[in-house]
Amino acid sequence: MTAEAGRASPRVASLPRVLGPIRPRPRWQELRLLVLVALALGIGSVSLGATMTGTFALHDPWGLGIYLAALGGAHVAQVLAGRRTDQILLPAVAMLGGISLLLMERLPQDLVVQRFFGASFGLAEVQLIWLVGAILVATTVSIVVRSDNWLRRYKYTWAAVGVGLLLLTFVLGTEINGQRLTLQIGPVSGQPSELLKVILVVFLAGYLSENRALLVEQDTWLGPLRLPPLPYLAPMVAMWAIALGIVVVQRDLGAALLFFGVFLALLYAATGRVSLVVVGLVLFLLGSAAMANLFDHIRTRIDIWIDPFSDPLGAGYQVIQALHAFARGGLLGMGLGGGLPEIGGRPPIPEIHTDFPLAALGEELGIVGVVAILGIYLVIIQRGLRIGVAAADDFRSLLAIGLALVIGIQAFIIAAGNLKVLPLTGVTLPFISYGGSSLLANALVIGLLLALSDKGVEPPPRPTASSRWRRLTRRGPD
Amino acid sequence: MLGRTGASRPLGPTTIHVALLLSAAFGILAGAAGYWGVLRAPELARSPDDAAVIAASRTVPRGRILDRDGTVLARNEPDQHGELYRVYPSPTVSQVIGYASRIYGRAGLERTYDAELTGLAGDPLTDAFAKFGAERFDPKDLTLSLSYDLQRAAVSALGKRRGAVVMLDPRTGEVLALASTPTYDASRLADPATAAATFEALRDSKAQPLLPRATLGRYVPGSVFKIVTAIAGLGSGAITAETTFKEQPRSERNGLLVEGFRVRDGHHPETGSKALDLIGATEVSCNIWYALTGLETGGQALVDHAARMGFGAPIPFDLPTAVSQVTNGGGTDPGGFVDDVELANASYGQAETFVTPLQMALVVGTVANDGELMRPRLVTALTGRSGTRSIAPESMGRVLSSTDARAINAAMVKAVEGPLGRRFTTGAKVSGVTTAGKSGTAELGGSGEPHSWFIGFAPADDPQVAIVVLVEQAGRGGEVAAPIAGRLLTRWLKGGE
Repeated sequence: MTAEAGRASPRVASLPRVLGPIRPRPRWQELRLLVLVALALGIGSVSLGATMTGTFALHDPWGLGIYLAALGGAHVAQVLAGRRTDQILLPAVAMLGGISLLLMERLPQDLVVQRFFGASFGLAEVQLIWLVGAILVATTVSIVVRSDNWLRRYKYTWAAVGVGLLLLTFVLGTEINGQRLTLQIGPVSGQPSELLKVILVVFLAGYLSENRALLVEQDTWLGPLRLPPLPYLAPMVAMWAIALGIVVVQRDLGAALLFFGVFLALLYAATGRVSLVVVGLVLFLLGSAAMANLFDHIRTRIDIWIDPFSDPLGAGYQVIQALHAFARGGLLGMGLGGGLPEIGGRPPIPEIHTDFPLAALGEELGIVGVVAILGIYLVIIQRGLRIGVAAADDFRSLLAIGLALVIGIQAFIIAAGNLKVLPLTGVTLPFISYGGSSLLANALVIGLLLALSDKGVEPPPRPTASSRWRRLTRRGPD
Repeated sequence: MLGRTGASRPLGPTTIHVALLLSAAFGILAGAAGYWGVLRAPELARSPDDAAVIAASRTVPRGRILDRDGTVLARNEPDQHGELYRVYPSPTVSQVIGYASRIYGRAGLERTYDAELTGLAGDPLTDAFAKFGAERFDPKDLTLSLSYDLQRAAVSALGKRRGAVVMLDPRTGEVLALASTPTYDASRLADPATAAATFEALRDSKAQPLLPRATLGRYVPGSVFKIVTAIAGLGSGAITAETTFKEQPRSERNGLLVEGFRVRDGHHPETGSKALDLIGATEVSCNIWYALTGLETGGQALVDHAARMGFGAPIPFDLPTAVSQVTNGGGTDPGGFVDDVELANASYGQAETFVTPLQMALVVGTVANDGELMRPRLVTALTGRSGTRSIAPESMGRVLSSTDARAINAAMVKAVEGPLGRRFTTGAKVSGVTTAGKSGTAELGGSGEPHSWFIGFAPADDPQVAIVVLVEQAGRGGEVAAPIAGRLLTRWLKGGE
């Protein structure tokens, strides 16, 4: 550990040095991978064009051009910034975003129509705007963020902001399809739970890095279970309550599952205590059982999951149509633009652009495509975890691991819902689903991961956990 | 130092555990993708609920259905929006062809061959490379063994009565006619303009016109079941064609006493004092001789031989079939009979025995084809862009030896052409052709009229066609079913091929 360096670095030095002297540093690996991504997307676009219009040309050269130019810009910005950050994350995410763009170009454009500044934009155009915005956010965050103090020191403030967002959604949220997920302020609307997941990870990383030693070293016996000191389990119970609260208030099963999953995985990563995970899972199952008994919509979801074919034209319709889409796709798929038979001008799955993009890709790119996409998510997870393990201190480690888990677990939950491995819950498929909140929040995650991967900057502050440890044990750290 | 060691305990191992867990979870997802995309794909992608199938059914012209002479039995018409619907030539084929309706789904051959008619490629290899093909759909025309001419004759012979006629070529299993009455007008079900009113009327009708009686109706067989008993008796070696029973002439007057129950008989004063053999007993349809044969054969052998001809399981056929049974299997005696009384009564078709007309066609077809049963089939060829695929005749196995089959054949000839047999099978004979057959009068208990049955084939020395006629509650087999059979056999042998 760098206790010496930590002590030596004065607090004032943590002022952001946004525009220091420009020292470009080439990023050949990133460039090579980005060229590969551009090639793959170009081929995909030609394939889409061939199917949709019958001509051997790019389907939408302007859209793809803008997207690739934005990626190029992001790369140049990283080179100019000269930070020694990860070079694989950006191309991996760029591939997913490009697949998203091709998919949105391929779906009926009137699925979403938004008006910005008097002009109206269709599905692919809106998604392209968000994708470029996401690239901007990720790049800016990865270049500008050189200190983590603003996250580290105010974890309870962040937690309060998170709970505030949740309450605000509850009070002011707009109800869509029986779910109160969307917060509309003026012309801007968004889903706060997307931002909430980042805040949650920041809080958990802060809390766990401070209390890790306690959670690991001290024991309380609860019957046969060896547990950490009970007071330190309070956040766990709070998390459990928040997750259930989200289910009750927002009717958002997916977010609850995601938050709780990230929480348990991070808790295990920090403490290595299986007993905690077991208690967490038991609490979760009890909570789920109670919820299923109390709320019809949750029971319906579970019934659909167990046997969607019992009501193929009613409740189980979307889930079954998704399975049919995978079946039609088979091993190699129908080709971009070749699947998704429209009945009366509509795609077979109503929520295809938000909840079922994987089913659409399964049909058009086949199992081969699905496995490749799952592989890209694993690459992102692997990079994130790697950044976490290599980070300079516990807070940064846990933050990076948590951010990677957010992407990975969210992708798993919705993919599993599409494939009938888990009940369907309405979370987005990161970087692929349509939606601004989702893209921007996930871009923020990638930006933070990139910033955390830079080992060349400011060392972390001296651990503060020791002070609490000292108070508790009445012994000095040295 | 304690705090420092605790805080700096490396995160590596636990992170690797988390990574492994997530990798395993993603592995499960890949497995699930393979499960739905490969293992379950053929079933899902060809299901009528599949969006591609639904979309195709409205735009891609469905394959036509043709009879054995090329007469079109199902074709397409565009509605006012340019979407296609089905048109059928007449209600006589509805129980076979079924219908394809946007609202009420599919029935009959339209259901069984939905994927082929829609033109979804069936084999996994074609499906895997579907994206490289220009046209995904290759609708197949079905060619049937059915004769539209014979089918119409069969329906008109049944007339306003409820019943069924099955005619097939015993040498190949090709079904020539498969009539069920009452019929319904499938065109009105397929036409979106008239579908709803038509369907409701048909569903509420007491005559159950939507029920294909030939394949799904289960009836008490009465004396036509004696042929099954004869097959089991000869096939198991329990009797020979010459076997006689001492008890039989003795019991003619007062009935044969089996465990306290009297098996009665009464058709034939001329032979009352004679000990009959297979031919004699079949000619006069002697219940007592057949009851004794059944008891001699035993329940197990009877049920086993029946099962070889399709009893006890749905018959493998192009249409859904009901399961025929010798007994309901509730008893503890061999074969599932309750006692010898049930076995004795079942031997002449009057116990817990229920059969479909199609099942009886397999029984009589077995005798006609020298003991070998051919799988019944309607569809003989599928023709699409990729060429024609013919479906070859297929044996369901040998049920009994050729010698035994000929003995039953001879007995059935006697039942139609013998001086006494003629009286029970009036009008069944095809003039100038040796005809074999057996009539049945299935008592239903209570006051209802019996079902009238006839099963047979011709020419007896070189069978080309086997027939089953059932008329619900129409009276004696010889009086109603036999003449219908005679007319239809004559039409096929003299007027057809």
